[in-house]
Amino acid sequence: MRRLGGGLTLLALVLGAGACRGGGGAGGTEQGQTIAMMPKNKGNPYFASCRTGAEEAAKELKARLLWDGPTETDPAKQNEVVEAWITRGVDVIAVSVENKEAISTVLRKARSRGIKVITWDADTEPDARDYFVNQATPRGIAETLTGHAARLLGGKGEFAVITASLTAANQNEWLRQIRLVLAERYPEMKLVDVRPSDDDRKRAFEETQTLLKVHPQVKVVMAICSPAVPGASEAGLPNDARPYLKDGVLDSAVLWNTKDLGYLTVYTAHAVASGALKPGVSSLPAGRLGAVKVEGDQVILGTPFTFTKDNVDQFHF
Amino acid sequence: MTYERGLALCLVLEIALFASIGWNFFTAGNAGEIVRASAEIGLLALALTPVIVTGGIDLSVGSLLGLCAVVLGVTWRDAGWPITVAAAAAVVAGVVGGGLNALLVARLGIPPLIVTLGTYSLFRGLAEGATAGVKNYSDFPESFLFLGQGRIGVVPSQLVVLVAAAIGFWLIVHRMAVGRMLRAIGFSPDGARYAGLPVGRRLGSVYLLSGMCAGVAALLYVARLGQAKADAGTGFELMAITAVILGGTSIFGGRGSVGGTLLGLATLAVLQNGLRLADLPAELAGVVTAALLLAALGANRVLQGRSRK
Repeated sequence: MRRLGGGLTLLALVLGAGACRGGGGAGGTEQGQTIAMMPKNKGNPYFASCRTGAEEAAKELKARLLWDGPTETDPAKQNEVVEAWITRGVDVIAVSVENKEAISTVLRKARSRGIKVITWDADTEPDARDYFVNQATPRGIAETLTGHAARLLGGKGEFAVITASLTAANQNEWLRQIRLVLAERYPEMKLVDVRPSDDDRKRAFEETQTLLKVHPQVKVVMAICSPAVPGASEAGLPNDARPYLKDGVLDSAVLWNTKDLGYLTVYTAHAVASGALKPGVSSLPAGRLGAVKVEGDQVILGTPFTFTKDNVDQFHF
Repeated sequence: MTYERGLALCLVLEIALFASIGWNFFTAGNAGEIVRASAEIGLLALALTPVIVTGGIDLSVGSLLGLCAVVLGVTWRDAGWPITVAAAAAVVAGVVGGGLNALLVARLGIPPLIVTLGTYSLFRGLAEGATAGVKNYSDFPESFLFLGQGRIGVVPSQLVVLVAAAIGFWLIVHRMAVGRMLRAIGFSPDGARYAGLPVGRRLGSVYLLSGMCAGVAALLYVARLGQAKADAGTGFELMAITAVILGGTSIFGGRGSVGGTLLGLATLAVLQNGLRLADLPAELAGVVTAALLLAALGANRVLQGRSRK
């Protein structure tokens, strides 16, 4: 006969799990707001760095921070986590959106249940959230990048771009802005080629070599991929860029400060949930960041930060 | 105490535990969410039960789900077919995919593990190839999204599909002569053949059904998420197989029950959901699932061995 003594085993296991919670959990809404924050991918150093900033802000605001997100690429996972947060009951949900069509449904549902929703790092459809914490506008990124290229080229000459993939929406928007900035301010500079790297370091290396052979007169290569798509950001983070910066091969690396992004997201979430941030407000006090600009339904982190060989050692992510 | 009763007891204990430590766990709304999140894997697991009862396996169901989702998107948006026709096309794609498995397993006699390992890559590859891996179909009509997001009274709409499928598979496996044939094939394919059973045709039909269920599961998936993309259903085949095995179906064939599969499915789904609502890291689900599977089957094995002596 098929018999089972597994019942007791399961009980022991689940009780074990319960004990874990007894240690860490307790309390909740009564000790301030519960802010649920989701990265695109928990395992990515870019987001791990955002998390340290988020935790710092949560501590200052005495809010409870839940940090959860997918560890794999299953597109349904972000939705499942949000569903659970809706059922659990949190005050505000902050999502870095992997897939905006898929997640907008569940974010709208959260809003209909009275939960405030903001997005950070990557946006969803505007009617599915209250605010978007924007790390940098495409215009700001284009201006900073082109400004550095112009400084290196002395305002005229040819340069090329290594992008993520030729279809990446973020990068294509930046490229459009870069071309606009060129037309407006640097008519003597010419963007001769745009090559994909597919977010792969080796591919970027090979494409750069090819590019330099085909266009020997190119003096500046602008790599907009690695820090750009958060999914592939490792290659652009200061630790990776440090040796190149010190060698002088790489002149400067432009990236927003990820810790500040996490920090600002929690401040925004808190302000939205408490009602301090509502339509018409044009400035948000955000702890050590001071007053942060609010444009419509977007909270702007500011212009991208430029890492150079003089300041790169101050950052450790 | 049978294996199923033991598992049912585990499930009750699990629910009681999460009800005491989770936030808003023991509510009708949350029960609905659990059903929603597990309906697609549930359909796959139900279809896999007769497959595994024959001693076979179908690793291609998750990939086939992705391919069917893409077929739905392509026929509806690119070809401009009405949504009902596109949905039918997606299910037909599932049947064709299942048919390919059936042909290779039943006619050519290639081991199902090898066949479906091949089609596992083939179906995902076709889905990615057709969309370059990035195309994303969305903005499906409300009437279609109702299938994945709507409620009939308090019941989530996919529960209706799941219950219908469960009854269908229960009849096939437990109440029809076909079910006994499948079991006979699982115990001994050669014996079944010598007894005059149409082994090839029966084997073919379970893979065909499995493909069709992958097509229907694709509809539920797309309607729930509101998007169709080539990566739909990644990893679903392993979760479905886990539910079937946890439900007491023998991987060697011959033994298994639809009720056990449903219990296995519910145990896994409640675990995932309960851990989240208890603010425990969801990664723990993997560890607990593994422990659960090994402990339950190990205990079953030990007790079986003892009763034989």
